[in-house]
Amino acid sequence: MATTAVPGSAPNRIKRHQRPPIWRNVTVLKWGVQIIVLVLVIAAFLFLSTQAVNNLDQRGIPVDYGWVDGPANIQLGEGIDTVPNTAGRALWAGMVTTLRLASAGIIASTILGVLIGLARLSHNWIANRAASTYIETIRNIPVLVQILLWFAILTSLGDLGEVSSPGWVYVSKKGISLPRVFFADGFYQWMVFVIVGAALAMYVRRRIQAKQAVEGGTAPTASVPLSILAVFMIVGWFINPIVSPVGKIFDGIASVWGGIPQPAMQSIISVAAVLASVIWIKNFLDSRRSPAGLAKLTDDDWFRMIFSGVLALLAILFVWVVWPGLSSWIINSGRDFWELAGNKFGGGRDNQPLDAMRPTVSEGRFSNYGPTGWTMTVFFASLFFGLVLYTASFIAEIVRGGILAVAKGQSEAAAALGLSRTQALRKVILPQAFRVIMPPLGNQYLNITKNTSLAIAVGLSDVVQVGQSVYNKNNQTLAVFGIWMAFFLACSLTISAVVNFINGRLAIVER
Amino acid sequence: MTDFGSDASNLTLVLAEADSAPEVPSHGPVDWAKQHLFSSLSNTVQTALFTVVILGIVRWLLGLVFDEVTSWDAVATNLRLLFTYNYPADQYIRIWFTVGTLFVAAALSIAAWGVDPKVNVGKLAGKILGVGAFLVVIGIMAPTSNTIKTGLIVVGLVVAALSFGLIKLAGERDLTFFAFLSLVGAFWIAVLWLTPFGRNEFIDGAVVNAGGTINPTTKVPWTILILLFLGSVLVGRMLVRVIPPTLLRLFMVLFWVVGPAFLIFLVLRDPMFDWDKVVKVDIPLAIGFTVLGGALLYWLTKPGLGEIGRIVAASTLGIAAINWIAAFLGLYSMLQKTRVSFLALALFALAATTFAGEKSARLRFVGAWVGLVLVGHWLITGINTASTLDIAAPPFLGGFTLTLAISYYVMLASFPLGIMLALARTSSLPIFRVLATIYIEFVRGVPLITILFFFSVMLPLFLPGRMEISELAAVFLGYALFSAAYMAENIRGGLQSIRRGQFEASDALGLTTAQRTIFIVLPQALRVTIPNLVGQAIATFKETSLIAIVGGFDILRVAYQTIPSQPDFLGQNRPALLFICVIYWVFAYSMSRASRNLEAKLGVGTR
Repeated sequence: MATTAVPGSAPNRIKRHQRPPIWRNVTVLKWGVQIIVLVLVIAAFLFLSTQAVNNLDQRGIPVDYGWVDGPANIQLGEGIDTVPNTAGRALWAGMVTTLRLASAGIIASTILGVLIGLARLSHNWIANRAASTYIETIRNIPVLVQILLWFAILTSLGDLGEVSSPGWVYVSKKGISLPRVFFADGFYQWMVFVIVGAALAMYVRRRIQAKQAVEGGTAPTASVPLSILAVFMIVGWFINPIVSPVGKIFDGIASVWGGIPQPAMQSIISVAAVLASVIWIKNFLDSRRSPAGLAKLTDDDWFRMIFSGVLALLAILFVWVVWPGLSSWIINSGRDFWELAGNKFGGGRDNQPLDAMRPTVSEGRFSNYGPTGWTMTVFFASLFFGLVLYTASFIAEIVRGGILAVAKGQSEAAAALGLSRTQALRKVILPQAFRVIMPPLGNQYLNITKNTSLAIAVGLSDVVQVGQSVYNKNNQTLAVFGIWMAFFLACSLTISAVVNFINGRLAIVER
Repeated sequence: MTDFGSDASNLTLVLAEADSAPEVPSHGPVDWAKQHLFSSLSNTVQTALFTVVILGIVRWLLGLVFDEVTSWDAVATNLRLLFTYNYPADQYIRIWFTVGTLFVAAALSIAAWGVDPKVNVGKLAGKILGVGAFLVVIGIMAPTSNTIKTGLIVVGLVVAALSFGLIKLAGERDLTFFAFLSLVGAFWIAVLWLTPFGRNEFIDGAVVNAGGTINPTTKVPWTILILLFLGSVLVGRMLVRVIPPTLLRLFMVLFWVVGPAFLIFLVLRDPMFDWDKVVKVDIPLAIGFTVLGGALLYWLTKPGLGEIGRIVAASTLGIAAINWIAAFLGLYSMLQKTRVSFLALALFALAATTFAGEKSARLRFVGAWVGLVLVGHWLITGINTASTLDIAAPPFLGGFTLTLAISYYVMLASFPLGIMLALARTSSLPIFRVLATIYIEFVRGVPLITILFFFSVMLPLFLPGRMEISELAAVFLGYALFSAAYMAENIRGGLQSIRRGQFEASDALGLTTAQRTIFIVLPQALRVTIPNLVGQAIATFKETSLIAIVGGFDILRVAYQTIPSQPDFLGQNRPALLFICVIYWVFAYSMSRASRNLEAKLGVGTR
């Protein structure tokens, strides 16, 4: 009927009548369903948390983090602090143990995994079969079983016995100890020299490479930058105390940071939130813009932009009303961080940067931590061996897959260009293989970090085990769980950020 | 042990292959070794290095196995504990029935898919030769008494000589698959009846090793099971001639998805139902939902039903919602089963328009509903029935049975959840996408053990006052939610591999979003995902060992805690741990082999 109306007004009327009723409008339905689901999720969340708060109240457990500064009343088996004063300190000691285990495991499993992966590709029959047998065996046995088996094996070793003078290597039911190199007082001052030297070496290398690209021929792309770095390292070793004033800079930053008033920090966060939203909307509009002008915005687009603005408002509400303490927490921890950095310089720190020590044994056991040998207790060692051997079997497969993924034509082309086998591997095959290897390798690093939590099975004082001891004492299960979550999420995010960064660098090389 | 077994067998296998391979017809092992082990300097160095390392590791492992302090009696006596924990002996027939059903199903599946590879006698004998050589190596290297060493060497040499003779005599011949299976069966029956394993038992709190062969309570059922398996293969092959194989395949797929759940309930639950209640309430309710719901859905799937269908579907949802609200407010009481069924019916009604079409498609949809109601009601009735007998030790479910049950249920529960999360994460609706992403990344960022702790310790805190949940159920719930996030990522990979053209083609056909997802996208995506899903099944199976930490009596807990605390085997955890390594390895390795075969068969990655 509408289409038979006056010709001049027809388009408008058609539009009005073609627009479906509100309960049939796809955009409205889509957003309606989404908002209903969101409300349901939030409602469920609120319901469960009020339930939890009520239940905790009934049992007389306060819901806050005040207990972190309270007494811990627990003793840790090992770590930076075996008799921590506060619960927070105990958890921190657990975190450090977890990080030590994770980083040691990541390094060792990468080395072992790459070696086994290369052996798997070897033309030598024995190496090949041994590597594949290793992989097929280890990856099909649960890592927890392996850890417990290592624990059973290590604890059945002989005792340490009486040792009068420091030896080199100890393997006993108390653990494994090797000589260790550790950071001495002058380390951070020395690092200033190392960083400056590395930067200069990089710059010189670029210059040499640029020159080589123009003139051709061979150029000292490796030897000259390396010797620059070496000179800085050697000179810095002896004269490092002269950079101790750097600490003053950090102290200055700390006092400036600590001087920021809380409302200012809140304003900064609010402005950042609004800015983020505005930038998002601007980018969004740009993406809808063509040479012909701004495309017509659909209802969906309007919903998106409004939603982005609402998110910014929620963020502002959060920092000003819901949790004002967040800003002061950021201020305080920022100040503490810079103060810590400042403390690493000056003040009689004029020793050599690195020092070494052999294992020290007293009363039939190793010293716990500090400038002694590089000691792994049986708890740490069983975790370490279990995790490293297990993860290495996965890394080996990743490495093998990555190298096989480089097309055969690449190595043939490299050979045709006259590159030697080593050159081809270094300049053609490996850079391309790395691109394939990196993402799954990052996943394995995440896995090893998460698997350190199995420490609880043998009683190593990692963050999970300490957390459990803490909540067994004070019943703060929910809060401890929050700390676990935050810690592991932070680890995961850090590792993914590093892997993504490296991946991005490799991707540019690839083009 | 097993690892080096396979190594050694591979060694001889390749040796045997090289002997008979066409490329080197007349060359002996010396030429082979020259080519593969000493072709260049680096090759020779590698050979020397790896030989030393391997010999060192083998010697060390043998040291663990044959150690003086390692008492294998701890394993031999506690086999029942390791596999079924405290399951009452007089109810064991249920376990045999369950295993028997699985054997029959496996045999029927072999027949349904026409698995009938030719088995080359030469290759088979080559593998046996490897086992013989491996026994000789153990005999030479093992740090144990000379009698055992000599025995091992003699047995190894005899086996090797026999299989070598077999290669020379019949190396070119092929065995049929059934003959091969019969041989394997006969071998195991012979092992059961002839090995001097000894009857290790606890009698009146003391370990008794009666000597002789395996206990009749073990060997008789297993013999019957093996024979049953072989018979079922024959029966299945006859069946395939009578009924179309596709039908049998469909039936077997359904069985493998739902069957284990039935069987586990059979193991778990008392068969003595409250028949009065079952007859008066449960069965009428199930029939009512089947018939009335089926009729409603059949009507709703009529093409061109228009607005009225939507109104009916929406009002079903309304009734379902009111039921739940009423339950929260305590207005009128109703069986929880009815409430759940109403909700399911409402969801089916809402989805009905998607499945509108020809009569056969509509009937299939109704069939899905009927199947869901019957299975769901059966399971709910099963859950509500009292548990098996009263047993002195409270957790009677344990051992390897628990490991298998938890892994199966976790995979089953996380599959639909994972699909939903993956769809939400790849959806074009931003809020769904953000919620799914937050959930997935959050769960994947935390270790499983913390989630299990959370659910075992914290879940009671989140529940309203009256509700209670057993610790094992809470752990299972947490594990399923955890696994769903990983499942979602696997499925998302599959979803992203679907070409754009598929979406455009289905849009061009005028399919709705739901129809496109269910009929076009998901089937293709899941097909691509199958190898990854098997990988996840293996990971789930392995990680089930973590429930030992949070209080489940799975095989690991029995091996690591229960056995070493028995007075006779105080502190003896090493033999049992080595033993369960082998158990886990056998299961995980066969799954990964199966997945590789499946991958090859599906041609994933080659198309």
